[in-house]
Amino acid sequence: MGPLYKFGWFDHAYSLQLAGLIGFMFGFVLERAGFGNPRKLTAIFYLRDFAVLKVMFTAIIVCMLGLLYFFFFGWIDLGRVYLLPTFIWPQIVGGLVLGIGFVMGGYCPTTSVVATVSGKLDGLIFIIGMMLGSVLFAEIFPFLKGFYTSGNMGKIRLTDVFNINSGIIAFLVCLMAVGAYWFVEKVEQKFGDKDTLPKGSPKVKRTAAGLLILLGLILAVVNPDRIIAKPAIPAIKPEKQVERVQKPSATSETPDSIGFKIVDDEGC
Amino acid sequence: MNDRYSNPYVIGVILGLILLFSFYTMGRGLGSSASFARIATAGVKLVAPEHAKANAYFSKYIKGKRSPLIAWLVFLTIGAALGGLFSAFISNRIKGEVARGPSISVSIRLWLALGGGILSGFAARLARGCTSGQALTGAAELAFGSWVFMFCIFAGAYATAYFFRKEWL
Repeated sequence: MGPLYKFGWFDHAYSLQLAGLIGFMFGFVLERAGFGNPRKLTAIFYLRDFAVLKVMFTAIIVCMLGLLYFFFFGWIDLGRVYLLPTFIWPQIVGGLVLGIGFVMGGYCPTTSVVATVSGKLDGLIFIIGMMLGSVLFAEIFPFLKGFYTSGNMGKIRLTDVFNINSGIIAFLVCLMAVGAYWFVEKVEQKFGDKDTLPKGSPKVKRTAAGLLILLGLILAVVNPDRIIAKPAIPAIKPEKQVERVQKPSATSETPDSIGFKIVDDEGC
Repeated sequence: MNDRYSNPYVIGVILGLILLFSFYTMGRGLGSSASFARIATAGVKLVAPEHAKANAYFSKYIKGKRSPLIAWLVFLTIGAALGGLFSAFISNRIKGEVARGPSISVSIRLWLALGGGILSGFAARLARGCTSGQALTGAAELAFGSWVFMFCIFAGAYATAYFFRKEWL
């Protein structure tokens, strides 16, 4: 049962080798997609080529479906998978600034690595800039500490915010993705260069879209969340203490102290 | 130079499987921006070790005697560099150049790359992750903040794309 590392299948030294392997595949596919080229990357912001959105959304959906199906079949313990905590205000501001940095510099952090190794000087300069930005952040961190920890909502998922089970969320994400693919391809046809845009048969696309929606729909029906909810049911005593009955909430993992503490930067 | 890139949907499926593999084996997703923060920390530590230890943010990367560079994400980034190099090599895409649009000079492009890098490095620390570590990884787990973050990246970029159009078009 996964995650293998958390169940002690291998040690730290091996995990670093695995990181190298996973990174190799990561860098390889990014370069395959043309993400070492900033003109290809930024074309999305001028409505000419939505490869960035297609790759990102597809990867998110494949992984999301994979995680939920693995969980449903009992192959992975999602409780042991590191979930990124939500600090809503720094994430909003950070996202906006990262977006500006993306269109200004032409890269996001990982793609700049791929660009640098394919010989682009601007990619290397971007990396140097990122290091300077990190140092700048650390140096003024005492002033930012309050903002950095503001808007703490704990480790919450979309399911907690909308109070919908994750199967239905997954189904909605699949529907949204298919809608987004259809829409951006319309936009590409209007503004993009038809010679460089990827060609694909409409039949394959329709089949893939259908499969995606079907996989989402199955999840919505089987509802993987009930696996977590099950043990809680016998504990409810209906005759008394009604007001004390509460469902297990994922938000219970509030930070242990107000002071600044970073467990391990498992995120990014 | 070969400009034929792979189909983005196919790449997306493969990337999703790589991410799933990472979750299944390690219990965590991909990422890269923290590795640059770690390299920067290692540099500061080399020049001014006391200063690095005293700083509340740098010090999170300095634990015990271990170098800040011995970290999962650093190895991931080294792997990504090798993987990108391999792919560029087999497609004959390795070429020393400054990538830019036709109507911008090399020096302005490099200054903008530096500025964009500084903003990105700063923002990634503020948001606790970048496009891969926060948006991609978190969104696949349906983390609320990661979805908000992802839409904010697009919002920030689309809102300012007009001012940088000469750099790319």
